[in-house]
Amino acid sequence: MGTYLLSRAISLVPILFGTSLISFFLIRLVPGDPALALLGLEADGASIAALRTQLALDQPLPVQYLTWLGRVVTGDFGRSIQGGREVLPLIVGALGPTALLALAAVAISLLIAIPAGIVAATRRNTAADYSASFAALCGLSMPSFWLGILLILAFSVHLPILPSSGYVSPRTDLLGFLAHLVLPAVTLGAALAAATMRMTRATMLEVLRSDYVRTAHAKGVPRRRVIWSHAFRNAQIPIMTLLGVQIGQLLGGVVITETVFSWPGIGKLTVDAIFARDYPVVQGAVLLTATLFVLINLATDLIYTLIDPRVRLA
Amino acid sequence: MTAAVLPLSPFGGLRRTALRLVANPRAALGVILVSIAAVAAIGAPLIAPFEPDKPDFTVMLAPPSLQHLFGTDELGRDVFSRVVFGARASLFVGFASVAGALVVGTTIGLIAGYFGRWVDAALMRVMDVVFAFPSILLALAITAVLGPSLGNAILAIAVVNLPIFARIARAQTLVVRQLDFVEAKRALGFGSANILAKTIAPNIMAPIIVQGSLLFAAAIITESYLSFLGLGVQPPTPTWGNMLRSAIGFLDMAPWLAWFPGVAIFVTVLGFNLVGDALRDLFDPREE
Repeated sequence: MGTYLLSRAISLVPILFGTSLISFFLIRLVPGDPALALLGLEADGASIAALRTQLALDQPLPVQYLTWLGRVVTGDFGRSIQGGREVLPLIVGALGPTALLALAAVAISLLIAIPAGIVAATRRNTAADYSASFAALCGLSMPSFWLGILLILAFSVHLPILPSSGYVSPRTDLLGFLAHLVLPAVTLGAALAAATMRMTRATMLEVLRSDYVRTAHAKGVPRRRVIWSHAFRNAQIPIMTLLGVQIGQLLGGVVITETVFSWPGIGKLTVDAIFARDYPVVQGAVLLTATLFVLINLATDLIYTLIDPRVRLA
Repeated sequence: MTAAVLPLSPFGGLRRTALRLVANPRAALGVILVSIAAVAAIGAPLIAPFEPDKPDFTVMLAPPSLQHLFGTDELGRDVFSRVVFGARASLFVGFASVAGALVVGTTIGLIAGYFGRWVDAALMRVMDVVFAFPSILLALAITAVLGPSLGNAILAIAVVNLPIFARIARAQTLVVRQLDFVEAKRALGFGSANILAKTIAPNIMAPIIVQGSLLFAAAIITESYLSFLGLGVQPPTPTWGNMLRSAIGFLDMAPWLAWFPGVAIFVTVLGFNLVGDALRDLFDPREE
């Protein structure tokens, strides 16, 4: 296991190197002077000159990259053009609301997807299966921001029982926080539920065909117990893997949902920074989100390996 | 995607594949939905009753009626005409970005799988890096840096889809390059470019085309995200995404502004997903 862990960790090095390169070059692709891009159009000449020296902009590109990387690994992502706050605390502060939203979305998706997937598999080719499968396909085909808009129309405009946007800290007002959480969490959870339901159905169908399930039936084990204790327990591994991948993908999905619902997470921070041309924040958010994405995928792989040793041996 | 593939002449049975596809009710529904979107895109000037950009301040925010089937927007423009013309941008961006990603990604995968060793390692590590970004975030970052436009939206969506085609093409190439007919061509002295283009490429296309149809759906959604955020095709050119962006400000007064462009995206994407699902089942040996 130790060797496997080490080899997986080593395989991350070129990927993290690549993500840092892309993040570095993002600013270099902006037309004009990178120092001006990082400080904003209203910066004075002295500040621009100082930053040019600090970023080693008069040096060759590899030196510039290493200078930038040296600052980034020590947590210095620069300062936001808007307000002058340090970028790292800004991003870390936004991660909390994003994590809460993601957690709620995953919980909602599991509550819908697992029972629906199991029902669809155990009643294959019945009306229940067709309905659940078609609903999942519809969920996958619906852009999340449109679902968000429809939910706002239904529950904030026509039937005004939930707030249409905003955020309240759970520490100050738990009920207010939950009220604000419902619509964005359902929006984000719906697409997750669709994919998880399809995976649950497909995996359960395979497991239900296996010999040990047939044996359990033959031995007279009650149907409910066969489904939950024998079949579902073994179907959990691929479902958990998909869930891990989806949690990573959520980092992208939150960009849209947080923008629709003005949820102050990492996604909204990134979009706001893009429109404000706040390139230090864009660069920091892209690099940190990609790093987090890579680490979540690694954690998923490792959990998968822990649960199913066959993966490690293969 | 598994490497256990492939009907070796996917195009040999094209007619039979099409017939089996249409015989599947879900796929047939998908074909109908995609056809509606395609007809709207191609025949927009003939179908749309009004010019999509022409304001009419006498009928601002009018609800759906016989004259304006989908109502009008805040400038009095006919929403039905804008939805019909919106199909052009959405389908064009979807097609161009997926076609670009398919050609470049498949070429990368072919080269990586065929030559192996350091070529494979170098190319696939680059693909891994692109894959390491959440796709929407990378597309956003690219369009944010290059500027919002139709071309940049196509480029951004193509880039995020590159690794998917590259990985599938590489996995297929690894299988096909060891087959006898490839060995035979090599023994006859054919060059690598000839073998890749004329022997291996045609034999790995089935799963790539299936993936393409599914990614077409995803590309339409990504384009709508970019337009919705203001980073895709810019107004006054109508796209379903930028129509929904404008609709946000009028949800309580004119909800129809949000219904119809959303339905258009949903129906088109559903169509591509239905066709993609059916194609995947058709080419999946386990379904036999």
